[in-house]
Amino acid sequence: MRLAVTALAAALALLSVAACSSSGGSSSAGGGSSPASTLVVGEFNPFTGPDAAFGPEMVGGCIPAIQLINANGGVLGHHMSCVQEDTRGDPADAVPAAQKMMATETSLVGVLGPSSDEALATVPLLNTGHVPMFVDTGQAAFDHTTDAYFYRITPADDVKGYAMALWAHKAGYTRAAAVFGNDAGAQSNVPPLVHAFTQLGGTIVYNKPFALDQSSYRSEVESILAAHPQVIFTEVDPQTGATFLSELQQLKGLLPVIGTEVSLQAPWLKAVNGAIGAGAMAKYFEGMQPYAPTSGPAWQTYNKALLASGSKVPKPSQWSSDPYSMTYYDAVNIMALAMLAANSTSPAVFNKDVMTVTAPGSGKTVVTSFAAGKAALAAGKQIQYVGAGGPIVFNQWHNSTGAFEAAKDVNGNPVLVGSVSAAQIAAISR
Amino acid sequence: MNTIVPAIGFGIVTASILAVAGVGFTLQFGVTNILNLAYGDIMTAAAFVAYLVTSAGLSVWLALVAGAAFGSVFSVLLNRCIYAPFVRRGTRLFGMIIVTIAVSLIVQNGLLAIFGANFFSLKMPRPASVHIAGMVFTTVQLAIIAIAVVAMLLIHLLLRYTKLGKAMRATAADPDLARNCGIATDRVIDLAWAISGALCGLAGVILVMNVTAFTDTTGAQFLIPVVAVAVLGGIGQPYGAMLGALIIGITSEVAATIFNPEYKDIVAFVILVIVLLARPQGILSEVAARKEVAA
Repeated sequence: MRLAVTALAAALALLSVAACSSSGGSSSAGGGSSPASTLVVGEFNPFTGPDAAFGPEMVGGCIPAIQLINANGGVLGHHMSCVQEDTRGDPADAVPAAQKMMATETSLVGVLGPSSDEALATVPLLNTGHVPMFVDTGQAAFDHTTDAYFYRITPADDVKGYAMALWAHKAGYTRAAAVFGNDAGAQSNVPPLVHAFTQLGGTIVYNKPFALDQSSYRSEVESILAAHPQVIFTEVDPQTGATFLSELQQLKGLLPVIGTEVSLQAPWLKAVNGAIGAGAMAKYFEGMQPYAPTSGPAWQTYNKALLASGSKVPKPSQWSSDPYSMTYYDAVNIMALAMLAANSTSPAVFNKDVMTVTAPGSGKTVVTSFAAGKAALAAGKQIQYVGAGGPIVFNQWHNSTGAFEAAKDVNGNPVLVGSVSAAQIAAISR
Repeated sequence: MNTIVPAIGFGIVTASILAVAGVGFTLQFGVTNILNLAYGDIMTAAAFVAYLVTSAGLSVWLALVAGAAFGSVFSVLLNRCIYAPFVRRGTRLFGMIIVTIAVSLIVQNGLLAIFGANFFSLKMPRPASVHIAGMVFTTVQLAIIAIAVVAMLLIHLLLRYTKLGKAMRATAADPDLARNCGIATDRVIDLAWAISGALCGLAGVILVMNVTAFTDTTGAQFLIPVVAVAVLGGIGQPYGAMLGALIIGITSEVAATIFNPEYKDIVAFVILVIVLLARPQGILSEVAARKEVAA
């Protein structure tokens, strides 16, 4: 018996090691292996694990950007490529992945990511390695960061929490349940959400972290129903969301649900749609995401390139209105334009120009694409890049955030139902 | 208190899934002495088979049969083509664990390559809710409980009252002695893989019937409670696994009601540790004890 128990313990340990070791693999999304002259943008995000939805979203922004850049002559004689680095959404996997990426990708000019799952562990590494990073983490810990290579053009989680609370308040809800996964990314939404909803006169009647991917959440559903909420705030992974909401539906019928942008991503929508049905989804569910209008010249350039990206971006139209894909696209363009402005592909040299090519200013030429920016810089002009996701104005801590929109999923299509302005968020966050 | 009774009902559903999976796992280890850590991934593969069946417009009952059949055939082939050659070459217990981890990764990544990193749901009618003695079940969950009860009953009849069952128990206790007594142990091991594989496939399908959405890692995530059930019951003890499933299934659901749901697994594992401290061989452990002596 002792041998068998020892074997089991060893097996579980080995299983963990094997799981960790499988995370470091990377593959080129830019079309095969990268030759020495190709500048590499690392897609440093989860491609497997509970947050596997993040990676493909990133590919949906990176690939169109590098294809347009390469089609317009590249950067200082170099082509660019996107290379996937799977963090598995776990710091234990992400740290070696970051170290490997920095050690092996000699032409690395920047990364997209990390996400909230691995940011605290990997941002210092990337910053020390002088790797510009356009993060998708929302953690409030980075609201006042002094890391020189850190940039965030997606809203911080505290801002997300404020937006969700404001949207629920606008709808007249005063009693809410907070159903968030026990992962760091999801939990970082909770304190600002609770703070804002309470400040607006509401009460959070249930707030307990959920263990993810359980075979049942019916006991949790019973506890939530016993607290009589009017609305459920949520961010959980697709499988958890599907199981939880289908059991809620079975036990007493659905309640209105307000999710974060994670719940507007294709895998989440597919999983939950399959579990509760498209009709219920359209009736009860709304997700809050950064406001990114699907119009304007920058978005049209992005969308045209995205839809023409071929097999490198599976089902590209799913990312057409995705604000995160748009910001990844913008991030690659910003890095490319910064390299042109600095006349160098060395991150240590062009990093300061990330601010230069995005900041507004009198006499600056507003450009909405890499091609236009390259032409303007070649003509000796100063530029302000306005991206597919809108204007990017970094504050002193390299954060740039804006308004939020509430969207529904109606038969697989996102439908905008309203918005929360940046001014409203600023007022509640003071 | 008013949420405890429903929680016990939910625990019975969880226990039913754990029982089918746990009995298959422990039976496999008991007879073959291979700790198959690819078990969870075979559950997932069977779920995908069921998905294909329901996507073709066929009934979920047929999907259950197809999933069990797939699990059975796949497990037999897995043993014959991969595990048995390693055993013949003298690979020991720890070496075999590495081999099973390799198979686990291959199956999981194979599913990822075939189906993609997406979520899937079985196509089946939306279940109605049924209230029984203060507990709430859906018709699907009642079906899961019934399937588990029937499967456990069949396993009990097989082990207790058939020659094959006796031969399996003899092989589990001491394969060399069983062989010397005229039992065709190779055939018994094949059949053990087939039966435990069928339970594995069945568990995969009922798991995804319950969770409603699944992906390539769903079964693997379920493996740890399955292993816990096997350890709690006494490794190699099907009846122990049934008891272990009930304990872990019900305590985890009740714990989610009383305490923070984040700790539902932890509470179940605390009970596991306490039981093992008092009874290191598990609740029912004759075979495991003999295996230790043999080792």
